[in-house]
Amino acid sequence: MVQFLRFATLRAALAFFTLCLVSFIVFSLMEMVPGDCAERYLAFKNSQGAMISIADIEFERVRLGLHKPFLQRWATWLFNAFQGEFGDSCILRLNINQLLGQKIWLSIGICLGSLVLAYAIAIPVGIIAATSRNPFLNNGLRLVSYLGLALPNFLLALMVMLFSTVVFGNSLTGLFSPEFRDAPWNTAKVLDFLGHVWLPVFILGWSATAFAIQTVRALLSDEIGKLYVTAAAARGVSGRRLLMRYPARHALSPIINSLGFDLNRIFNELPIVALILTLTEAGSLLIEALARSNDQQLAGAIIFFLTGCIIAINFITDIVLALVDPRIRRSILG
Amino acid sequence: MSRLIDVENLTLQFDTDEGRITAVDDVSFSLDAGKIMGLVGESGSGKSVTAKSLMKLNPRNAVYGENTKITLHLDDGPVDVMSLQNDHEMKVVRGGSISLIFQEPMASFAPAISIGDQMIEQLLIHTSFSKSQAKEVSIEMLDRVGISDPSMRFSQYAFELSGGMRQRAMIAMALSTKPKLLIADEPTTALDVTIQAQVIDLMKDLVTEFGMGIIFITHDLGVIAQTADNVAVMYLGRLVEQGTVRDVIRSPAHPYTRGLLAALPTLDDIDAPLTPIPGDIPSPLERPSGCVYNTRCQEFIGPRCSAKVPVFSQIDAGHAAACHLYDRAGDAE
Ligand SMILES: Nc1ncnc2c1ncn2[C@@H]1O[C@H](COP(=O)(O)OP(=O)(O)OP(=O)(O)O)[C@@H](O)[C@H]1O
Ligand SMILES: [Mg+2]
Repeated sequence: MVQFLRFATLRAALAFFTLCLVSFIVFSLMEMVPGDCAERYLAFKNSQGAMISIADIEFERVRLGLHKPFLQRWATWLFNAFQGEFGDSCILRLNINQLLGQKIWLSIGICLGSLVLAYAIAIPVGIIAATSRNPFLNNGLRLVSYLGLALPNFLLALMVMLFSTVVFGNSLTGLFSPEFRDAPWNTAKVLDFLGHVWLPVFILGWSATAFAIQTVRALLSDEIGKLYVTAAAARGVSGRRLLMRYPARHALSPIINSLGFDLNRIFNELPIVALILTLTEAGSLLIEALARSNDQQLAGAIIFFLTGCIIAINFITDIVLALVDPRIRRSILG
Repeated sequence: MSRLIDVENLTLQFDTDEGRITAVDDVSFSLDAGKIMGLVGESGSGKSVTAKSLMKLNPRNAVYGENTKITLHLDDGPVDVMSLQNDHEMKVVRGGSISLIFQEPMASFAPAISIGDQMIEQLLIHTSFSKSQAKEVSIEMLDRVGISDPSMRFSQYAFELSGGMRQRAMIAMALSTKPKLLIADEPTTALDVTIQAQVIDLMKDLVTEFGMGIIFITHDLGVIAQTADNVAVMYLGRLVEQGTVRDVIRSPAHPYTRGLLAALPTLDDIDAPLTPIPGDIPSPLERPSGCVYNTRCQEFIGPRCSAKVPVFSQIDAGHAAACHLYDRAGDAE
C-alpha cells in the first residue's frame, strides 16, 4: 500500500512536471510571436479609430507586467494557472475564466463522451470480431470499420447537417436551442443539451469507434493465439470462462494503454467538427483565438486545459494499469 | 499391465493457405498404465501435434482422418476420444484423465493470473474439492515437485519464477488432478542439465507412485534412454520404428533411427566425428511418395522405396520397423 502510494505520488509528480513543461512551451510560443499583448491590444484600438502613442504602449506594458523578465512572468502565469486563474484575454479584455466558463467542461465532456461511446461499442464488437468464424460477419465488420476510418469526421458532420436540413429542415447545429443558450442550468436545459450533444459525440465517436474496434480486435486476436490460452484449454477451461479470464483479461492492459492516445485523437478532431456544427465549445474558441484574433492569453489557457486533460487521462490509465496488471504492480512493489 | 490408451490410424491434416498439409500420417501406438513411452523425432516431425490430438486440442484448421480411433481405457470403461463433442465431454481428456505439459513452460502460464489461481481453477473443474481444499492440494503438489516455500510460490505469477521452477510448477499443475496419462512435450529441453536430471527423476517417481502412463516427447535419444520403457520414432508425421528402449537403442532397425543415433555426441570419445543425417527435412507441403524417408536414406534400395509406403515388419518380439529392408512380403512382389 505504501509502495503503491509512492508510485502514485511519483506518477503524479511526473504528470505535474510534464504539465509545467508543456506550459513552458506554450508560454514560450506565445512569447515568440512578434508584438506583445500591450502592442496588439492598442493596435486593435488604433484600428478602431483611437489615437495611440508609444508612451501609451509603455504604460500599458507596465500595467500588464510585461516589462518583467520572461521566466518570472512564466512562473507567475503558471502559479496562477494551477489555481485556475488565467488573467484576461488580450484582445477581448474579458476574464478568461468567464470567457471559457463552462465551455471547457463541455468540450471535455464531449470528448470523454465520445471515448466512452467508442469503447462501449468497440469492446463487445471487437470481441465478436476476434472470436467469430463467420466470414460474413467478419467482413461486414471490417467494411464498417474501414468506412469509419476512411470517412473524415468533418465530412460526416457536413453530411449529417445536409441530410437533416433537407429532411427535417433543421441543421442540428449548436449545443443549445437559442432560448436556453444563456439560461441557467435546469432540467429543461439539460434535456435540451442532451438533445443536441449526441450529434457531436456521435460524429467524434464515429472514427474513434472504428479505430477502437481495430485495436480491440487486433489485441484480442493476438492474445487468443498465445500458448497460455491453449494451455488453459488443455486443463479443461472452456467457453466464456476461457475467453474472458484468459485472452480478454490479458488484452485489457494494452487497451487501457491506448485510451490516452485515443482521447488525444479525439481532442485533435474536436475543433474542426465544432466549427462545422457551430458549437461554441473551447476548441472552436481556440481556433478563433489562434487564427483570427491571435489572442495568446486565451489560446494558452485553452491549450493548458487540453494538455492537462490528456496528462490527467494518462496518469489515470497508469494507475489503473498498475492495479489490473500484476507484472506492472510487482515491478512497482518490488 | 493394463492397457491405458490405444491410438489407431491417427491421421491429421491442416488446411492452410498453401494447401492441405499432412502433419500426422496413419500413426498407431499403445501405452500401458505405469509405463513411459518415448516419442522421438526431429523438429517438425509431428510430435506435438500427435500429443495434442489425444486431447482433441488442435486448432480449427485441423482435419482428422476418418479412420482415426483413439481409445482411452479408464476404470469406468473405455472413452472414444474422437467422438467427444462439447466442452463438457472433452473435460475428461483435457486435464481430467490426460494432462499435457507443454513444450514452452514460459508461455504456458497466463501471465496475469497467479500460479495458484490457475491450479485451483483446474481442480475446481475436475474434482469436487472446495476452494480451500483445492488450495491445500495445490500447495502440497508444489511441495511434492520440489518447489521450496510452496505457499509463497502459490501466490506468485509465472514471471516471478525461474525456468526450472516454472517447469516444476507446470508438472505440479498437470499432476494435481491425478491424471491417468501424462503427456510431457519436451519437458526438459528448456532446462539446464542438472535440473533436467531432477525433473526426469521426479517423473519416474511419479509413475511408480501414481501408476500413471507417460508419453515423453523429445528429440533427444539420450534422454529417452534414461527415461522410457518403450520408444516410438517419428519422421515427417509417420512412425518408422517402435520397440523397447533397449532394442531400439542397442539395435536400431530403421535407417532413420540409426542416423539419429549416429548423430548423438558421445562423451566416451569426444573426438569421434558427429555424423548428422545428410539432407534436409522435406517441407510438409512436398511429402515424398513411398517411404517418407527415402530422400535422405543411406540405405535406399531401389524404386520400391520411393513408390510404396512400407508397412511395419516385426524385427523381434515387441520391436518393429517400417522399412522395405525388412519387408519380406514386399520382396515377393
Ligand atoms: N496449426 C497448424 N497449422 C498448420 N500447420 C501446422 C499447425 N500446427 C503444426 N503444424 C505443422 O505440423 C508439423 C508438425 O509440427 P509439430 O509441432 O508437431 O512438430 P514437432 O515434432 O513437435 O517439432 P518440435 O520438435 O520442433 O517441437 C509442422 O510441419 C508444423 O508446421
Ligand atoms: Mg513440438
